[in-house]
Parts: sequence; C-alpha cells; structure tokens
Amino acid sequence: MNIVLPEESQQDASSAEETSLLVIILDSNPGQKMLRESPHVLTHCVDSVIVFANTHLMQKVQNKLAIMACHSKSSQFIYPDQGKHGDIRQVDGQYEAFTAVEKITKKNLAKVLTSDGSAVITESLLAGAIAMALCYIARLQRTKPPGAKLNCRILVVTGSSCSTSQYMNYMNVFFTAQKQNVVIDVCALDQHLNLLQQGCDITNGLYLKVPQLQGLLQYMMWVFLPEPPIREKLVLPPPLKVDYRAACFCHRQLIDIGYVCSVCLSIFCKFSPICTTCHTVFKMPALPAVKPKKRKKM
Amino acid sequence: MADNAGNSNAQKQNRSKSTNLECKNLYDYLKSRPSNLLEKLYNHPTICLAVYRELPDLAKQYVIRMVFVEQPVPQAVVASWGSQIYSKEHNNASKVLSDLMLWQEAAIPGGLLGWIISPTFKKNIKIALLGGGKTWSMSSALEADSKARDVAFLDTYSQERWECVLHYMVGSQQQEGISADAVRILLHAGLMKRDEEDGTLVITRQGFQFLLLDRQAQVWHFILQYLDTVQERDLDLVECLTFLFQLSFSTLGKDYSTEGMGPGLLVFLQHLREFGLVYQRKRKAGRFYPTRLALNITNNTNKSTPDIEDDHPKGYIIVETNYRVYAYTDSNLQVALVTLFTELIYRFPNLVVGVITRDSVRQALRGGITADQIIGFLKQHVHPRMLESEAKSPLPPTVVDQIKLWELERNRLDYKEGVLYSQFLSQIDFNVLKEYTESNGVLIWFNKEKRTLVINKAAHDDVKRFWKKYSKGS
Repeated sequence: MNIVLPEESQQDASSAEETSLLVIILDSNPGQKMLRESPHVLTHCVDSVIVFANTHLMQKVQNKLAIMACHSKSSQFIYPDQGKHGDIRQVDGQYEAFTAVEKITKKNLAKVLTSDGSAVITESLLAGAIAMALCYIARLQRTKPPGAKLNCRILVVTGSSCSTSQYMNYMNVFFTAQKQNVVIDVCALDQHLNLLQQGCDITNGLYLKVPQLQGLLQYMMWVFLPEPPIREKLVLPPPLKVDYRAACFCHRQLIDIGYVCSVCLSIFCKFSPICTTCHTVFKMPALPAVKPKKRKKM
Repeated sequence: MADNAGNSNAQKQNRSKSTNLECKNLYDYLKSRPSNLLEKLYNHPTICLAVYRELPDLAKQYVIRMVFVEQPVPQAVVASWGSQIYSKEHNNASKVLSDLMLWQEAAIPGGLLGWIISPTFKKNIKIALLGGGKTWSMSSALEADSKARDVAFLDTYSQERWECVLHYMVGSQQQEGISADAVRILLHAGLMKRDEEDGTLVITRQGFQFLLLDRQAQVWHFILQYLDTVQERDLDLVECLTFLFQLSFSTLGKDYSTEGMGPGLLVFLQHLREFGLVYQRKRKAGRFYPTRLALNITNNTNKSTPDIEDDHPKGYIIVETNYRVYAYTDSNLQVALVTLFTELIYRFPNLVVGVITRDSVRQALRGGITADQIIGFLKQHVHPRMLESEAKSPLPPTVVDQIKLWELERNRLDYKEGVLYSQFLSQIDFNVLKEYTESNGVLIWFNKEKRTLVINKAAHDDVKRFWKKYSKGS
C-alpha cells in the first residue's frame, strides 16, 4: 500500500522563512543610577545594542527590527522612523542596511536626549514602553498579508530599578504579551529586576542580569540572539528561581502574605473594611468565638 | 550448482536520477569549489554576509559566539553549547562549518583540539557588521538622478525581461528573441537542446522543471550556469560573484554608480541587464538600478509563506477540492505552465479553467516533472484568497495527497541487481546457502520448492568463496 508521509521536512523549511520581529526597548533615562554615576556608559550600551540589532538583521533576510527609547516621561520609536533615508550611502565596508540602522538610531536618540527636560526622575516608564511595543506588534499582525507568519519578541535593556508603582501596568502588559505569543526578554544592566523577571517567566522569555557591563555585547549575542525555537536547541542559563511576590495596591510594597479582596482579587498589605478597587464592604473579622467548655461526661 | 548471472536492470534508477534538475543552493555551490577559491572569496565582506545567511541556524549561533574570540575554542566546549537531544543538528552544523572552511581545527596548549574561525572570514564579517575597510565597489557618491525610476517601474521592467527568456524557452511567438549569449547559457544548462533533425532549439525535461521553479530559484539556477561559463569569457569569477552579492544586498529603488568598475565587470553588468537583474537607461549612463530579481539572490528555498512586505507579485491560481484549477491570468506563459499538468476546460480572456486528472498528472510525471514540483508550483502561485483560510496548507490536502499517490503509483517496482543461484543438488545444500546469505542480509528472493535463490550482486564473490569452502569440506 502506498502511504503518503506527512510533510515534516517541508514544515521545517517553512519555519525558517517566517519573519521574526525584534523590538528593542532601550532605557535611555538619564536619571538611572548607573548613568548618573558615569554618563559615558550610555554610549557603550547604545553601541552594543546597535550591533546586536544589526546581528539580528544579519540572521535572515526577512528579519525585522524596531528600536524604542524609553524615558521618564515618554517612550518613542527611534527606528524605523517615518523619514526618507534614500541618501544614506556606505561610508566603509559595512552593509548598507546596517549603516542605515546605526545612523538613524543615533540621530533619533540624540534628539530624544536633547529634548528631555532637566528634571532628574529615576523611574523609567518601562511598562508603557512595552505596551507601545505590543501595540506596534498588534498593528503589524493585523496588516500583514494573508498567510504570512510573524514571530515577535521584545527585548528590554535597562539599568533602572524596578518600580513597584507600575505593578498593575506591568502585569497587564505581561499577560497581554502572553496572550499574543510575544516573548519578553529582559537584559538588566545594573540592578536585579524583580517584576520584569516575572514577566520573562510568564512569557517564556529569558532574564539576564549582566555581570560585567564591559562584555554587554557578548552577553547579548549569547543569550538573546537565538530565536525562541533555536533556544531549545542550545544550552542557555537556566531560569533562576522567580520571586513571585506581588505588590500591594495600597502602599506598592512587595509582600509575601496579605489580604485579597474576594470580589476583585485586589491585594492589600493591611486589612481595610472597604475594598478601594471595587468598593465592596467587608465585615470586621469577628473575634475568635469563645467555645463553651464542654463538661466532661462522667 | 550453476550460478546464472542474471542481470536485473538498474537502468531505470539511472534514468530518473540523471534527468532531474539539480538545483544547488549556495552551500552546495561553494562546497564544490576549491579551497583556495573559497579563501579568496572570503576576502569580500559581501560574500561573507551571504555565506553567513545560508548557514544552518545553529551554525550561525556558533559563528557569532566565536567571531569576537581571538583564541581557539576547545571542541568539547563547542559541543556543550547544544543540548543533548539535538546533537544531530549540532553535528550537521559543525560539518557545514568545516566544509565551507569557516572554521579550522587548531591545537590548544594542553593537548586539546579546538576550533578557530578562519581569520579572513572573521575579519570580513566584522567589517560587514561593524564597519571599517573599503566601501563596496558600486557605492560611489552619485548626484540625484533626474529621471529616477520607482519600484513599480523596476518591477515591470525586470518581469518583462525575465519572461522574455522564459517565453523563448516555451517557444511562444509573441516575444522577440533573446541574445545569442543567453541561448548559449540555456544550452549549457541543458534546459534546451538542439533537435537532432532540423537543428531548432527545443525545451528539455529539465527545462520544464526549471519553468515550474519559483522566480528566485530560476534566477539563481540560471546565474549559476552563467558563472560556469564565466572563465571562457575572460571574466574573473571572484569579481563577478562579489558584484552579484553586492547587488543582492542593495536596496530596491536606489541607484548605484558604475564608477570604478573594470571592463570585465561592465560586460557582466550588461549581461545582468539583459536578464533584467539590473536596469540601466543607457549603456553609458554611469548608474544602474538593481531590480527585485537581483535582491536576495541566494534566498532560494521554495517559498511557502509570503513575505511580510506586501509588494510581491500576487498569486493567481485557485485549486478546489474537486480538482478544478482556476488560473486568473492572461499570460500565455502562465497558461502554458498550468497546462503542463492539467486538462484545460474553458478559456476566457482573463481566466483559464482546468481540471487535474490522473492522466494529465501522469503525463506530466512522464515528462520528468515530479509531484513535489507540481505541488510547489501550485503553492507558490496560489491566489491570496486561498491563503486567508485558517488551514495549515493553502492547497486542499486531498489534491496534494492524490498527486503524490499518482506519483507513487509509478514507482511500484523496486529494481535491484542480483545473481540467481539454481539447480542445487540437495535440499541441504540449498538450506546452507540460504541461511548463510540470509544471515548476511544479501538474500533478495528464494523459492524452496524450486531450490533457487537470488542474492545481491555485490555479494556474489563472497558467497562463491563460501560455497567453494563448503563443498570442499562436505
């Protein structure tokens, strides 16, 4: 009997043709602790990120790239931008497309940095930037031609600390990303990022706290360059134990044990008789009832 | 006992092998080149970039991990990068890297063997990625073109030029001829041949298979054949390849300068112009526009998913589960291609309707076209409407399976070369020989009653020796 085998080999081939989009969110907030101490580190980071971005483009012809700058007050796309860049020509042996990425990114990043106000705010709007990236991805997914496949991932490169005040926003973007099959990778430059690490775990991304900033590029190439399907074929740093503590809604503090509203699941570190989110009224917990002592039966 | 060397024929297998169109990818092409040529090629960042993109996924990661490392990396360390389950892929990746001379073995103090990335390749891939070095030959500064051409114009132009070649192959009369050079390449590639009787050019089996490839694969195959003949034309292969890859990494709709190109390259450029890979207004215009045909020239895997950019030519074929094929086209060439494996029913100004039947497919198969080629062709040119459905494959699975079954029908016989042993004097003799050959795995067929057996031809000498020893001993 003739048996037609399923087209395994063809499916393998087609996975190589899928377009993969990488959105890099670069935290350029000058208020980061790392940058306040030594501002020149930013140049090193930007250079590494650009080379990494170009390496991503180098992998496959179809690969797409977007870079965002994340600030204390706003986030914006710095590559690709709307302008026409027909005039960018090679200056040396570098591939034209790479030169274009480098020039456009640096130009727009300079614009973002100079337009920034003088006030130093240490907190960056990372959750907002991820949300923007997700919107961008959703738009591309909607407008792509029928039959095309687009795999997306987001890489967050940041040196600022995790702000618990954005806890809700973080959780919202993480679960949206999970639903849209977007992988979130996080590259922490300076401090350990508790909440973002949870996001990586939720979306099956990788979290790496770079031990030495000098080798940033090499760390990124090793860990973040492989696409998720290739990652399973490589031995990559095992996931650390993720700290899944939640931030309470009243004081934005990470807590182990707290009170949870039984109606809307809001978390509080202290008991409050009215839930601030859904306004449900709770009774005060009754005092432990004193049980009448049972008389011993004779 | 007499052994009649009954020669079963193996000609059929030979036939099907020799007539299939061999479509090499860049890896196969480079692997068959001598190593000193490879070394010369790696002196150009463009070629390094092109080679890198063609590597298997794992090999790409290995190269990237090692490209910034100066000393050799122990082989055991490299092996530990991949996880155990995928060790086969790891071996494949290492083999490709060695084949292409991208890495070499090097001894590490301490007696271990290590890998080191070829220094030339390392230097030039770094140039492509990070900058430095000389500019590519075609990117001298240009003033703005007063009559700049847009992408749409370039697309129609390249399509026209390329279809000119294809039309010539199928012999449709509506187009003017092509140059003698192109004809020579077609002949050299075996896509066309001279008819024995009247000397006119006719299309070969391979020619038909060629027509069914997608456009990029066609261009790549054609260019490879062209490169084979490059030396006869006194052109430098390395120079031509470098230029070709420069073209393939250029931007569509941008003009490039011919300044600084040698006479050899200018000739090459004129040839590319003829096939529609570049557009030039005048021969001496001093600038040229690469077209879509030249872009990503090596990326010739059969495209089953459309690109994310929406400006590619649209498909025109609808296949229904009742084996009907609707082709929305008015081009004679496309109609001719569809009729290769369908029976036409209706023909309208912008639509032809055909049906895929057993006979029509078998006729195509007899013509040397394979089922995969038919399916590949349908997949590539499938109408966008067919892609919108949620199903995994844009074609109806019943049709795909049936075409494959029709092909398998033709391969019901399995030919093997064998030697027949018969007229054994006793059943014991027969049994001894049968058991011996069976245990060696060379027995093809036996019949106990008639005391005959057929064994693999290659094992004939060995069995004969065994038989002599055995008959002496008994």
